[in-house]
Amino acid sequence: MNGQVLLTSMVGEHVFINAEEFALLADKTLPTDSPTFRRLQGKQIVAATGEQLPLELLAMKTRTRLRRLAEFTGLHMFVATLRCEHSCPYCQVSRQSSDKRRFDMSEETALKALQMTFASPSRNIKIEFQGGEPLLNLPLLEFVVTEAVERNELERRNLSFVIATNLALLDDEVIEFCRANHVYLSTSLDGPADLHNKNRPRPGDDSWERAVAGIRRIREELGTDRVSALMTTTEGSLDRSREIIDCYLEQGLQEIFLRPLSPYGFAVKTKSHAAYDVDGWLAFYEEGLDYVVELNKRGVGMVERYAAIILKKMLTNDDPGYVDLTSPAGIGIGALVYNYDGDVYASDEGRMLAEMNDKTFRLGNLHSDAYADILLSDKLLTPLESSYAGSAPMCTDCAFESYCGADPVFHHATQNDFVGHKAFSVFCRRNMGVFKLLLKRYESDPYARQLFRLWANR
Amino acid sequence: MSVEVRFDANSHTADAIQRAAYRFADRFSIELTQDGLDYRCLLHFATEPDAAAVDDFRTEVLDQVLRERIRAETEGARNLVLSLAFSNTHLVDDGDDPADQHTPR
Repeated sequence: MNGQVLLTSMVGEHVFINAEEFALLADKTLPTDSPTFRRLQGKQIVAATGEQLPLELLAMKTRTRLRRLAEFTGLHMFVATLRCEHSCPYCQVSRQSSDKRRFDMSEETALKALQMTFASPSRNIKIEFQGGEPLLNLPLLEFVVTEAVERNELERRNLSFVIATNLALLDDEVIEFCRANHVYLSTSLDGPADLHNKNRPRPGDDSWERAVAGIRRIREELGTDRVSALMTTTEGSLDRSREIIDCYLEQGLQEIFLRPLSPYGFAVKTKSHAAYDVDGWLAFYEEGLDYVVELNKRGVGMVERYAAIILKKMLTNDDPGYVDLTSPAGIGIGALVYNYDGDVYASDEGRMLAEMNDKTFRLGNLHSDAYADILLSDKLLTPLESSYAGSAPMCTDCAFESYCGADPVFHHATQNDFVGHKAFSVFCRRNMGVFKLLLKRYESDPYARQLFRLWANR
Repeated sequence: MSVEVRFDANSHTADAIQRAAYRFADRFSIELTQDGLDYRCLLHFATEPDAAAVDDFRTEVLDQVLRERIRAETEGARNLVLSLAFSNTHLVDDGDDPADQHTPR
């Protein structure tokens, strides 16, 4: 980058040196008393002959970085129903049906799912209700929360609840339920009304109006921290990053996650994921990130979450445990999905693939398989083991490996291979682009550097 | 219709070539033999040979050779990290099912 060579350690600490110094380092002739050698030594990228301390420090940092792994599955997604009153073209899983019994999770299935949830050794258990639109099966949500809280009196875990909802059905009953049980809400907001409503058709064509009204109400009645929003990027978003961010600010939201469109489900069926390429998305992301930095400079607090996740990996020894950017992959060991019918999936994307008749990531069923059978099945262990980034060509000697992850579901979906050939990987190109952008801003803009440090340590 | 592709047996393994060939089963079938210091692959196409498929096959063989080598080189670290992930689950050692110990009321 600009004639500089990037060096990273196995825990992600980085140093840029010039090409001449790099040549000396590669020849092992860089003087050990030079400032550059000392900088590298300070980040355990090099050690002088016979030195033990850098190795011990690096081992300690590695242990810190990996400590979350032994926590095992912390996120448990309950698919309360597949029914939804929206008909979004890129949604992979929703059903337009009035037949409740057919697509709703039963209490019996929910109890089995709770049994599996608490079988995880994780101290932190997050139960996330997914759909369809989970508020269409509110009685099941109430049942699960009541059972989980009661059970947790003995278990003493850090238990939290999130409903992933479009908020169109938010009413007094839902508000009171969330207030009484300290339930968080995660919603979808794609940007300005015309963009959001085009992405998310529903009867009345008022998805945006309902989402915005819901966000306002939750912030006023439950607290500003109780609702967050996620956006889905479509072709129509690409030249509107500033408007999208402004829309978030108008709702009082101080975080935005500039996400790419996933390659799963209807997104593949409708070919909408092919409607824009990686470079198009990267240009969108760069414009959005720069705007967020500019807003902060003006005193308007705003965080871009994807950047914040990566910066934590770049600038601290911690790993935020974001399932798409972990190696070993987050499937199963980071998250499990309990479908309405009792099927257990290694990830939400795995569930979406199953809706397209690809059941590769279906690990078993709550009614017929035991916890050990599911977590030790080859259907989980094979993709976990084979996709490990440290053993994958291109990843194993990539300077960005410690910032990136293994995503066997993505590579299976796009290349029919858990590892994926990284030269053809959209995942690789997209993330490399983001890593380079973040490092470029970090090295060249003193304000961005200070801001990025704040994001990394929050 | 067939196309012959050769790989140096010193720098390729039959296993890597077979793994690559498996991924192309929908485009051609393969006959693999060793011929002196080469592996000789005869790619059989149902219709006209597809030059792009042959190129893709060569790329895939190189990828599989590297995967094999790197997997062997990194086996220790990979196993250590993966075993750490499962270290608190009691799934591997005692064979008990934690879910069975938490039967709901």
